[in-house]
Parts: sequence; C-alpha cells; structure tokens
Amino acid sequence: MSDFSSSMSASASGMAAQAARLRLVSENIANVDTPGFKAKSVSFQAVSDFMANSGQVKTGRVELSNAELPQVYDPGHPLADENGYYKGSNVDLMVQIADAREAQRSYEANLKMFDQSRQMATSILDLLRR
Amino acid sequence: MQTNPHIASQLYTNAQNIAKPDGPKSAGSSLFANMANDFMATMRAGENAAVAGMTGKADAQTVVEALAASEIAIQTAVSVRDRVVEAYQEILRMPV
Repeated sequence: MSDFSSSMSASASGMAAQAARLRLVSENIANVDTPGFKAKSVSFQAVSDFMANSGQVKTGRVELSNAELPQVYDPGHPLADENGYYKGSNVDLMVQIADAREAQRSYEANLKMFDQSRQMATSILDLLRR
Repeated sequence: MQTNPHIASQLYTNAQNIAKPDGPKSAGSSLFANMANDFMATMRAGENAAVAGMTGKADAQTVVEALAASEIAIQTAVSVRDRVVEAYQEILRMPV
C-alpha cells in the first residue's frame, strides 16, 4: 500500500508545482502592460530528503527574465524620457500562453496518474472484500 | 492400572506449554497494533488536511491527496475487520 500512497503523493507534488507555474504565468500576463516589469519563471527540482530521492518535485527559486526591456514610444506617458520613450515589460504573450498550455497538460497528466493509482489501490481492496 | 502422579503432572505441563500461545501471537498482535497506529495517523492527517483546506491554509492537491489516502485506509480497515469477523462467525458456526 505504501507504493500506491507514495505514487499519489508524487502526483500531488507534481500538480502543486504546475499550479505554482500557472500562477506565475498569470502574474506575467496580468503585468504585460506594466512599465519595467520583468517576466517571472520558476525552475523545478527533485525533492530529496536525507540523500534519498523521494520522487516528488518542488519549485525552486523564482527567476526574473533578463531579456531587454522594449522601448515604447509614448510622449504623453509620465515615465517617458525626453525622446518620448519609456521601458515596457519584457513579457512575451505568445511564450506565456504556450507555458500556460504546457502547465495545463502536465497537470492533467499528473491528475491521470493520481486517479490511476487510486483506482489500482481500490481494485486490489475490492478483491479482498468479496 | 497404577498411574504415576509425577508423569501425569509432567504431561499436563507439556500440554499446557503446547496450548499456550507464545512467540507468534505476540508478533501478530504487535503487527496489528502497528497497522492500527498507521491507520490512526493516516486518518488524523486526513482530518488535519481537510480542516486546513476549509480554512484556506492548504491547497486543493494536498487536501485531495490526504482524503484519498484516508479513504483507502478506511477501506482497508473495513475489509480486514469484515474478514476477521467472518472468520470468528465461521468458528462459532462450527458443529461441536
């Protein structure tokens, strides 16, 4: 039974990590028009406790994109310099949408694995019950 | 026929020793105690996770995972209990 429960907790950790990734994508998309905003991303890493790999995943540090901030021409903007330009955000909507879709698919995969381990545990108990 | 009381008492002690459940019984009962403790720990974790989820302290994945684990633990405990009760009833129905 412990294999099933650790499989379920690994799937749950994967779902939590994908949810954190989706949250960052939402923050990026919400700030796509914020001047000077840098896109955030997070890296995944394996959870290890006492030098043994537990099979779970967790999110690492949040990193800021170091891509060049685009120069936006808007002389009426309060942040515009003497030439009429200000620094926009470096969030690329196309990349963010693709990232969100990838997070969704990965979440679904983890959910399927969770459901499958639950079904396997339940069906072996059904065998005991009859 | 003359019986030797000494031999009779020795046989009686031997029979008592055979009938006395030792070694295996204690190992089995500690195994069951461990199972019951694990079950209690799983149930408690499930309840704590449910409370944390209601108060917004835990995310949905944690709550679902803990509830699924406690559901499986309950099913296991109920199945094992049913089997044990069934075995006792089988013994009670035995014609003597």
